[in-house]
Amino acid sequence: PARLPISVLAVIAPKYENEDFRKLAETEIASCEEEIAELKQQIVLLLIPSEETDESDLIMEVTAGVGGQEAMLFTSEIFDMYQRYAAYKKWKFEVLEYFPSEIGGLRHAVASIAGVEAYKYMKFEGGVHRVQRVPKTEKQGRIHTSTMTVAILPQPTEMRLQISPKDLRIETKRASGAGGQHVNTTDSAVRIVHIPTGIVSECQQERSQIRNKEKAMQMLCAKLYNAKLEEETKKRNNARKIQIGTKGRSEKIRTYNFPQDRITDHRISRSVHHVESFMLGEEMLDEMIQTLREYADYESLMEIISDNEKKNSS
Amino acid sequence: FCPAMGMDWPLTSGDGHPSKGAVLSSKHLSLRQNCCARPELVTATDMVNYWQKVFETNGIPEARESSQYIVSFVLGAKTFQSLDSKSLHTPLTAMQQEQIQQLSNKRLQRMPVQYVLGEWDFQDLTLRMRPPVFIPRPETEDLISLVVEEEFQKCENSALCFPVSVPHPVILEIGCGSGAIALSLLCKLPQSRVIAMDKEKAAVDLTRENLLGKMPWLRAGCASFSFLGSAKQLQLWGPIDVIVSNPPYVFHEDMASLDTEILCYEDLDALDGGDDGMRVIKSILALAPSLLKVSGSVFLEVDPRHPNMVERWLQAHPNLLLTLCAIHKDFCGK
Repeated sequence: PARLPISVLAVIAPKYENEDFRKLAETEIASCEEEIAELKQQIVLLLIPSEETDESDLIMEVTAGVGGQEAMLFTSEIFDMYQRYAAYKKWKFEVLEYFPSEIGGLRHAVASIAGVEAYKYMKFEGGVHRVQRVPKTEKQGRIHTSTMTVAILPQPTEMRLQISPKDLRIETKRASGAGGQHVNTTDSAVRIVHIPTGIVSECQQERSQIRNKEKAMQMLCAKLYNAKLEEETKKRNNARKIQIGTKGRSEKIRTYNFPQDRITDHRISRSVHHVESFMLGEEMLDEMIQTLREYADYESLMEIISDNEKKNSS
Repeated sequence: FCPAMGMDWPLTSGDGHPSKGAVLSSKHLSLRQNCCARPELVTATDMVNYWQKVFETNGIPEARESSQYIVSFVLGAKTFQSLDSKSLHTPLTAMQQEQIQQLSNKRLQRMPVQYVLGEWDFQDLTLRMRPPVFIPRPETEDLISLVVEEEFQKCENSALCFPVSVPHPVILEIGCGSGAIALSLLCKLPQSRVIAMDKEKAAVDLTRENLLGKMPWLRAGCASFSFLGSAKQLQLWGPIDVIVSNPPYVFHEDMASLDTEILCYEDLDALDGGDDGMRVIKSILALAPSLLKVSGSVFLEVDPRHPNMVERWLQAHPNLLLTLCAIHKDFCGK
């Protein structure tokens, strides 16, 4: 049914004598105002540009930073946290590379994460994560600060990235000498080199060679796509607090302080308590990421508004 | 190593000349100098390092890979690289160590790793392996991709509009071995009908076992018979879309230089292709016209020297009405 503009309704309501009819009109004003507020909100959200990468799956790389064995232990804990987070969000989590350390830590690992809005959430986790606590290896009870880095690379679909097979050199153990029926080697590791850029990826997670090749290709595509994106975003204005991509990679984004049982995200200066709970990779982490998302949307919007103002004033 | 674990090996010196079924002698290995600080706590990494040295000392090829696969298998993982950090540093139970020792003893006899573990992966499947049934090679994984690609291409080409049809070819595999090719195709082309045959009962049995292990809901009628005399029987299945095979294609003169692992444990009939390696290939090609549909295809894995030979042979036998369509190189360019 057609609706009268609110201003007209507002004029009619107070003058009309019939009590019931007036109440009805007032209720309708209230619901229209609600609807307007909602639509305004929606318009705002639509203004925020979605990135080409938002619908992608992603590759997550974790690397131990400063702090020796303690840094590697922390890296392992963070990797586990994201593995649990992926399960919590019902995403698929597949390990592509895994290089553990001598005492149960992790030097470097790569995982592919796929699912609804995976990249949209995980993109805020890229950067340097810092831990402050008394390490397991510490004999004198002193608090140490160690770091690890998370890199989030959007994973393109095959079509978006066109790689010519002749640009690839695929290295396997069976390459030398006769192959096929003549040999029975079990080393199925695969290494792929993208000749034009020199970017390399390898995988030996599987016993099947073709599966190692597929995983190595996945990683290579992500690396190539990421390199391409970096080129493009180099030019963008980078006054933002929340940086995505290589600019953000060396930023200290979060500190996990165990003695004070506090996690602080430095980009939005937000602190929450209960480190153990946070590192379960469930509601607390999800909530932190939601907050980051809202803040990033806000920054996007501010950028649009200020760009617009610049345009109008010139 | 650590005497507390009883890890000594029988001492017999001299190296035996490998012959089929013979027990190979191993050298005694004393690694007491490698005792770890706390002898009762042995981790997966320790085991891998230890057995790698044992294998190396005894001249076992792929010493590191062999020990990694064995230790991972006992821990329930496929590869050492897929073990998480905790598993790598948790001390192994006595039973696990015992299992590793038993499996490693088999490897010390030059038994291929796939037979030691009793299983191996091919494409997306984990299949049981048992001597002397031929162990699938990684190159053959590419053969599967080629067949699947062609079948999907055929569907695209023939589809006029809606509905897009799903490939449902009738496939005959000659020499199925463990069932690797047949089962992979069945998984990737679930609407297909696959006939897998092998002249060896052991192969047919293993294929049936693997089939029922993966797809127990399928009823499989299996019998072993040599295809050479069986054209009439095969024709009962109707015209066939695809004949696929990894036939024995090793040149007879090359057989003696194969590794001990192959010569002592695998069925040599699955490898030996006669003087020019073409004996079985020719038989398959000769039989194909009576079995194939007009637009049917034959997919063969062969020695790198064979494509030219096959082309010439087909030209010399025009009555077969077969033409060589494509030569695909494997991932090593062979």
